[in-house]
Amino acid sequence: MNILPFLLYAAAAIAYALHFGRREPAMGRAATSLLLFAALTHTFVIGMQTMEVRSVPFANPSRAISTFVWLLTLSYLYLELTTDERAMGVFILPIVVVLQLIPVLYPGVEREDPVLNSPWFWVHVASLLFAYASFALAGVLGLTYVLQFKEIKKKHLGYFYTRLPSLQTLDVMNARAVTVGWIFLTVGVVVGAFWTGQAREMAPQNPNLQAMVLVDPKILIALLTWVVYSFAVLSRRTMGWTGRKAAWLSALGFAMVLLNFVPISYFVSTSHTFN
Amino acid sequence: MHLFLLGVSHRTAPVNVREQLDFSSRDLGSAVEALAARTSTAESVVLSTCNRSEIYVASSNPEQARGELVDFLSDYHHLPREAFLPHMFVYDDAEAARHLFRVSAGLDSLVVGEPQILGQVKDAFQVAAQRHCTGPLLGKVFDWAFGVGKRVRAETGLGEGAVSVSYAAVALARKIFGRLDGRRVLVIGAGETSTLTAQHLRSQGVAEIAITSRTMAHAETLAQAVQGHAVPWEDMMPALARADIVVTATGAPRPILTRAQIESVTGRRRQDPLFIIDIAVPRDVESAVGDIEQVFLYNVDDLQSIVAENLSRRGAEIAHAEAIVSEELARFTTWQRSRASIPTVVALRQRFEAIRRSELQRLDSKLAGLPPEARARVDEVTRLIVEKLLLEPTEQLKALPDEETQVAYTEAVNRIFRLRDDDAPDAGREKAPTNRTQRRHT
Repeated sequence: MNILPFLLYAAAAIAYALHFGRREPAMGRAATSLLLFAALTHTFVIGMQTMEVRSVPFANPSRAISTFVWLLTLSYLYLELTTDERAMGVFILPIVVVLQLIPVLYPGVEREDPVLNSPWFWVHVASLLFAYASFALAGVLGLTYVLQFKEIKKKHLGYFYTRLPSLQTLDVMNARAVTVGWIFLTVGVVVGAFWTGQAREMAPQNPNLQAMVLVDPKILIALLTWVVYSFAVLSRRTMGWTGRKAAWLSALGFAMVLLNFVPISYFVSTSHTFN
Repeated sequence: MHLFLLGVSHRTAPVNVREQLDFSSRDLGSAVEALAARTSTAESVVLSTCNRSEIYVASSNPEQARGELVDFLSDYHHLPREAFLPHMFVYDDAEAARHLFRVSAGLDSLVVGEPQILGQVKDAFQVAAQRHCTGPLLGKVFDWAFGVGKRVRAETGLGEGAVSVSYAAVALARKIFGRLDGRRVLVIGAGETSTLTAQHLRSQGVAEIAITSRTMAHAETLAQAVQGHAVPWEDMMPALARADIVVTATGAPRPILTRAQIESVTGRRRQDPLFIIDIAVPRDVESAVGDIEQVFLYNVDDLQSIVAENLSRRGAEIAHAEAIVSEELARFTTWQRSRASIPTVVALRQRFEAIRRSELQRLDSKLAGLPPEARARVDEVTRLIVEKLLLEPTEQLKALPDEETQVAYTEAVNRIFRLRDDDAPDAGREKAPTNRTQRRHT
């Protein structure tokens, strides 16, 4: 089921790349239409799966990734349609395509753990996935800021200069994405801690819940990520860390998010795999 | 009807000749009217910019039009013909259309791809149209030219990138700050390029332009020209601390802004970018200033190399734009050819309709007994038969691939159906034999 949105995302990625390279308005419109169609299809797939197993669409890491991809696409489309700026698509879509490949290859086993039937769990995961989507956007905005900054500073106005929005625009969008992400990250972490306490009372023998300690890799890195983004939000306001410094911070933060989201979820941590 | 064009441009005439043939400083509207009144041309448009004076006309006799237009130019500008004839170019039909398309696309401009020309072509047409000097042919070819101009701009990079130092500076500022409204500008030293840059920045809606100069009077003059305010030389540093964009253009022999000075103000600005445009030679700003994180420092050489790069990039787009012009020209000439077949098509239709009517008239007495609905039906059926018989020939005549075929086909149709006045039989001669047969039968 996940293969259809994957193929559509891949097609959209190609269209965005062609648009970025050739700068043809018609190709840009085609790219946006393809992505809208992919998001719609993905919405349908997630809805169907959710109804089928009657559980939240992130009960295992693969489905969480699929939902994250969907949220990232929606956030990006929101950014594109409100700013009329398509240049970021060529950086976002590869992330979307690569991540969507995971649920296509490893659909994951559906096993409903009764401890997950809590509205707090729902809030915990949904907040974090949305936070990660915002951080992905911020990371890409930061990366493009650095690329463009370099070209202007070094006076080699070239490939990116003609294609990217102004430094100011990139910086403002980055600040907004980081702030929104940080708010949801905070909510997600706090609710997660709260829910663990509740669930432990409900199922004291559950091995996952036992593993939820501060030194668990997934939890530890999540907290470190929170520290990085808190610093990004704070330093922008109090120390004037805008522009290139803020851009590097958001790229660093997103690298940590990705690390935590994929390899650690699958291979290292035991706390967050409920199947 | 032929499209005919005559004029001078920066490619063919030196500025002193162009000046003498210039219409734009006078009233263009009255010039078009005078042209329409004094010549036999059916339609006319006068395009006059600082780089060209061109007259586009629709005429059934281009040779005659040429003579009349030369006379007109000579009379209107009080110039002997010899003064401009050697510099003049003349095009007709497809070549005239190609020229207009190239002009509208910015391909014939002094600075290739400059955007103003399309607006100037539109204005020229508008002026002529308001005075009822345009018609179907010029209306179509100018409309087509606007489309070509738009297409070239949308599909090629011909108009992209700044091609003057002052525009390049403004384009950079926009790339750093996005929208410039709300930004503050400080101009140090009032020269020609700094004035131009300040004017471009003003048109981008900057919040404030402060101008300082060692000679306060110079600062005040420039301040008036760009709606800014003059600042005494001693108060430069506080003004610098407020500025987002600094333009320096003094004649000072040594740098007037050092790294230490800029750092003293950037500390307070935190990370907000500061864009310094140093167009003075020798330079006004120490090159070490460019090493400060949030400072973007561009000197006149940097800007000139951007301009050179943009110009060469435009050059690379010329072939693409020329291809669009050729493609549109091919479509335009097909349309024009289809128009050339129109008289034949009209004559053919008139001939068929005349036959139909005369036959109906002949049968009038026999049809008289029929009820009115049946008579109407007969009329309709005969009309439909004629329509259907003519449908295919009409379309074929309009879609002929080249001029030679078109001449051959229309000639053939003219002869086969005897469509020309001299060889067309009049209605009486056509009727006569039928009447005789009729009589024989009765």
